[in-house]
Amino acid sequence: MTEIDVRQRILAANEAAAAEVRSRYRDEGTLVINLISSPGSGKTTLLEKTVARLGGRLRLAAIEGDIATERDADRLRATGIPARQILTGGACHLDARQVQGALAEAAFPAHDILLIENVGNLICPTSYDLGEDLKVALLSVAEGDDKPFKYPAIFSRAQVTVITKADLLPHVTFDVAAVRQQVSVLNPQGRLLVTSARSGEGMGEWCGLLEDLLAAKRAARA
Amino acid sequence: MHEMGIAMSILESCRAAVVQHGGGRLEEVSVAVGELSALEPDLLQFAWEAVVAGGPDAACRLAIDWRPARQLCPACGEEKPRAPGSWLRLCPDCAGPLRLEGGDELDILHVSFVSYDAEGGGEE
Repeated sequence: MTEIDVRQRILAANEAAAAEVRSRYRDEGTLVINLISSPGSGKTTLLEKTVARLGGRLRLAAIEGDIATERDADRLRATGIPARQILTGGACHLDARQVQGALAEAAFPAHDILLIENVGNLICPTSYDLGEDLKVALLSVAEGDDKPFKYPAIFSRAQVTVITKADLLPHVTFDVAAVRQQVSVLNPQGRLLVTSARSGEGMGEWCGLLEDLLAAKRAARA
Repeated sequence: MHEMGIAMSILESCRAAVVQHGGGRLEEVSVAVGELSALEPDLLQFAWEAVVAGGPDAACRLAIDWRPARQLCPACGEEKPRAPGSWLRLCPDCAGPLRLEGGDELDILHVSFVSYDAEGGGEE
């Protein structure tokens, strides 16, 4: 019997694929966003409204992660941007090799921002780097204001937390200040935005953040 | 719930390592799994058995080296355990944020294998 020292991270293959995605998009000056949240918190709707606001001046493309249907990619294509669906067939997260495969198959025209919508799940996607510049956690007000401390891994790693469906605040028990306090403990550098895709509240701030990050990425490359 | 994907990644990396050393049948794989890595060791063990079942490495054992959380409280100046009943990185004494020093490992350590040559026949 032979014993060999492997000494490598279990997710080394994922990390290598993520590094390739990151390197490609560094060269291209494209901003890559990984959206993570529970199902039904409004990821696809946020993206639709983002396209409505930014699509006129920036070229956007989307990768949609889901278990069983093409519905989300169809919704994004209906906004006029190229979109590719990854069907995981039951797996609870996207990994970087799936993203690479989707990019190769989709052969998107040149784009300024790549929007990756992860499988709806607050836990498993947290462990997988997709080569993104920015992890964004969404939390809809209907889910309750205790979620950052209940799911600390994602809320401590996401550089931006977006509270969604703020138009429902009068109808639900949800203390924005409590969420802000939890996120500040978990993630002192993290940003928190309060948005409603329906009313438009906070959408200017969200889109402005994406534009600022894109400009910063390109300035760093120059 | 993502233990299955992790088990598949472990097998893939170990097979690749063994092929680099001439190929063979896996006997034992040891991995370091941190308490804060979001993996359940029992589920990982179960997933491992499912992943190797029916293949040439079906008898391969998975040895899990469990690494407890090690978190330093900068305010108290000492290492603190995980607060009972909580996974938050907050000091159980002063409630300040803890700095992670260890316990988030997710590493393959060693692989033991029997080369096909030694078994007197090549399958690869």
